[in-house]
Amino acid sequence: MRTIPRGWVAALLAICLALTACAGTRRQHGGGSGQPIPGGTVSFALPPSAQPNWILPLALPGYTASYNGAIQSMLFVPLYAYDGTSGSVTMDPLASAALPPKYSADSRTVTITLRPLTWSNGQRLSTRDVEFWLNLVRANKSEWAAYTEGLMPDDIVGFHAVDDRTFTLTLDKTYNPDWFTANQLTLITPLPHSAWSRTGPGTPIGDADRTAAGAKQIFTYLASRAKNLGGYATDPLWKVVDGPFALSRFSSSGAVTVARNPRYSGPDRAHLDSVSFVTFTSASAEYNVLRSGGLDYGYVPTSNLGQRTVLEKQGYRISPWNGWSITYIPYNFNNPAMGKVFSQLYVRQAIQHAVNQPAITSVIWRGTAKPDYGPVPQDNDRKYLSDRQRTNPYPYDLNRSRQLLAAHGWKAGSDGILVCRSATSCGAGVAAGTRFAMTLLTESGSDETDNTMQELKSSFSKVGIEMTINGQPLNTVLGKGTSCKPADASCAWQLSYFGTQGSWYFPANPSGEQLFATNASVNFGSYSDKRTDDLINASNRSDSGTAMVDYSAHLAEQLPVIWMPNPPYQVSAIDSALHGVVQDPLAGLQPQRWFWTR
Amino acid sequence: MTRYLARRLVLAIVVVLLVTVVTFILLHLLPGGPARGVLGVKATAEQIAAFNEANGFNKPLPLQYWDYLLRLLHGDLGSSYTMNEDVTTLLAERLPKTLLLTVTSTLLATVIALPLGSWQATRRGKAVDHAATGVSFVLYATPVFFLSLLLIIVFAQLLPVFPAQAAQGEDIGTLLSQPASLVLPIVAGTGVTLAVLGRYMRSSTVDNLAEDYVRSARARGTSERAILWRHVWPNSLTSVVAMLGYYVPVIFSGSLVVESMFNYPGIGLLFWTAARNADFPVLLGVVLVIAIATVTGALLADVAQLLIDPRVRMPARAAA
Repeated sequence: MRTIPRGWVAALLAICLALTACAGTRRQHGGGSGQPIPGGTVSFALPPSAQPNWILPLALPGYTASYNGAIQSMLFVPLYAYDGTSGSVTMDPLASAALPPKYSADSRTVTITLRPLTWSNGQRLSTRDVEFWLNLVRANKSEWAAYTEGLMPDDIVGFHAVDDRTFTLTLDKTYNPDWFTANQLTLITPLPHSAWSRTGPGTPIGDADRTAAGAKQIFTYLASRAKNLGGYATDPLWKVVDGPFALSRFSSSGAVTVARNPRYSGPDRAHLDSVSFVTFTSASAEYNVLRSGGLDYGYVPTSNLGQRTVLEKQGYRISPWNGWSITYIPYNFNNPAMGKVFSQLYVRQAIQHAVNQPAITSVIWRGTAKPDYGPVPQDNDRKYLSDRQRTNPYPYDLNRSRQLLAAHGWKAGSDGILVCRSATSCGAGVAAGTRFAMTLLTESGSDETDNTMQELKSSFSKVGIEMTINGQPLNTVLGKGTSCKPADASCAWQLSYFGTQGSWYFPANPSGEQLFATNASVNFGSYSDKRTDDLINASNRSDSGTAMVDYSAHLAEQLPVIWMPNPPYQVSAIDSALHGVVQDPLAGLQPQRWFWTR
Repeated sequence: MTRYLARRLVLAIVVVLLVTVVTFILLHLLPGGPARGVLGVKATAEQIAAFNEANGFNKPLPLQYWDYLLRLLHGDLGSSYTMNEDVTTLLAERLPKTLLLTVTSTLLATVIALPLGSWQATRRGKAVDHAATGVSFVLYATPVFFLSLLLIIVFAQLLPVFPAQAAQGEDIGTLLSQPASLVLPIVAGTGVTLAVLGRYMRSSTVDNLAEDYVRSARARGTSERAILWRHVWPNSLTSVVAMLGYYVPVIFSGSLVVESMFNYPGIGLLFWTAARNADFPVLLGVVLVIAIATVTGALLADVAQLLIDPRVRMPARAAA
């Protein structure tokens, strides 16, 4: 047989060399002089399968992901921005388009003055831009993802422009100013009336938004343009921005680049030239790129935290990004089989006593998750946190759990599972002979969640509670675990867990009107309690400083859900030469404050 | 022959339709539906109802399928719930990238495996044959994700020679502008196919070398090289070509893994993301493409066999 010709070998070598030359070497991380330098680029990893898909700062349902909001706020300055970068969730004046609001004595009128910002088309930011937003939302509120009946924009009954920079809002009733600013005024983002107030392509800019029909046409037009992801980077509409960045690249596969806005006129100017957002199929795919040095700001899957020192040697600093969030398992109080059992407070107390939060946080989450004992985020800011919640009313205690159940007529059957022996002792609606067996619908695909569920199952079995784990994709869990009536076929679920990345992220004020108020939209388990409703109402309406704290204490004791350890938003790996990064618990990004030191 | 091909084509269309029926039913029977997953935890009941109505999920399943089929006949694969694009556009953007990966990997595997298999067959039982067999067994037994991971660890992390992810962007030009980022995905895609084809070619060549026509040729004094290339090679190739055609779904599924490992923006990545987001139109579109590729591969394999092997043409003529 002939040997391989020398020419072929040479050609093969040449190809290899050419490719190697193209490849370059691993990007260097860490080090740096410590001195800030202007410019540079940062590559930032988005969460697995995250694809930014909405640019209009007026989101439709399905387009409300936190990364969409983060990118929007880099381009369009919200009326009020909050962040937790100071250690407490407070207003971020530099990132807000207005000076702090002034409330009248009866808290029914709010006076707001805009900062002297300029749109990139040269127009000044004016009260007309706020009115434009309000007109669009009023006419299209049912299509707006953030709409809740009775709240924004229903709670604003009057808009009056005092001058180009000052306006007043008249409210339909008295609200708690702290809550109203944090959870209602933050929903407003002034929109460039001078560029966007068209009813269709090529139509003149006008005041059509001042009629409901016109506002609907404008909204339809803007939404249709916002649905064209491929045109984001070139569409003149989206070039008119007032934020520190402008969009320079946007692909429907998730690759997005923002570049410093040279016409930004505010106090929060960007240091970097650009930020590139990259999406990944999975956390492990992201980690592979991170380990090869391909990212400046990424994240480390919990299962890879053992390699922390390797990453640190590579020039990254590792830091958990804790969310302004809570994690929980809702009980389905309307489930025909177990709803009445869950309705007994002693049952919920016994279950909560059997949740080994210290073990789950330290062993399963490797210390990155935080124990969670109530309805208020517990590990960032204590402004709204009661002592009762903070000190954990129901610590892990299997004996206490057993005693509670035994004292109410539950005795172990031949298989070791508790059975209600006396209807009168077990509580209203619980029939004698009821077995304490429940099914937990849980999201699949995460080792941490799987292990957490196994730990729960094991602990519950030790007190005589049988738990069957039903793992399903997150979408299925969310689809099945919704509020229902006992007679509905959809009411078969008993417990549901969707908290691998935190069950609920709050706006600046962690009030519970959407979660635990009777008939609230995200009250999946149909929890209903008069005292809770009163406290939620007080936290929204009264400026009493104690309402939120009382709410925190009451629900920590009432256990409308099973409180579970709260995982971080992510465990970040950040190039140690990149400074100015503060991980905002509200999951916002402030890349305009990031800067390189080499 | 024409009637034979026409019959195969009709059969192929029926298979593709059946695949869409099964996929459609399976996806739409998933409990909960896509609304909550797509709209998120904070969506209200009204918003979910509006989504279901807008997407026809409130209709009976057969009616939904009928609507889907009608749209399909007009070339409309629907719109992605999350990516705000027609599925046709998304597939048109991503398919060329996947084809670049799969076709290059398969060609590379073929170019190496066929001569290697034949060469091994002529050295059957010798040390080099055992060595090559050992290597191909290891490759064959290595899952694509593991091979990908190994390549990333060695060539992107330990020896930072090639990037661990492909160039991002919708434009195929972006991918081609950074050829180094294609090396590891292509090598990973080549690995298993190379082992399979090599083993198959070797065994086919060994079988053919033992045939009577080889003995006759040797008796006539034909040189070993002529026997191998003129007689044995075409015969051995027939079964390998057929196998390659039926191997299309395996190549595509391997590509899905490779794309997810290397963050390669092809239809595998599209499928992966759509599956996580319960984006039914995209999932159906990708399944349709893979189904079409599979039946086309099988059809091409049959045609290639007809052209290469006169023995196969006989029953085809008879059938015609």
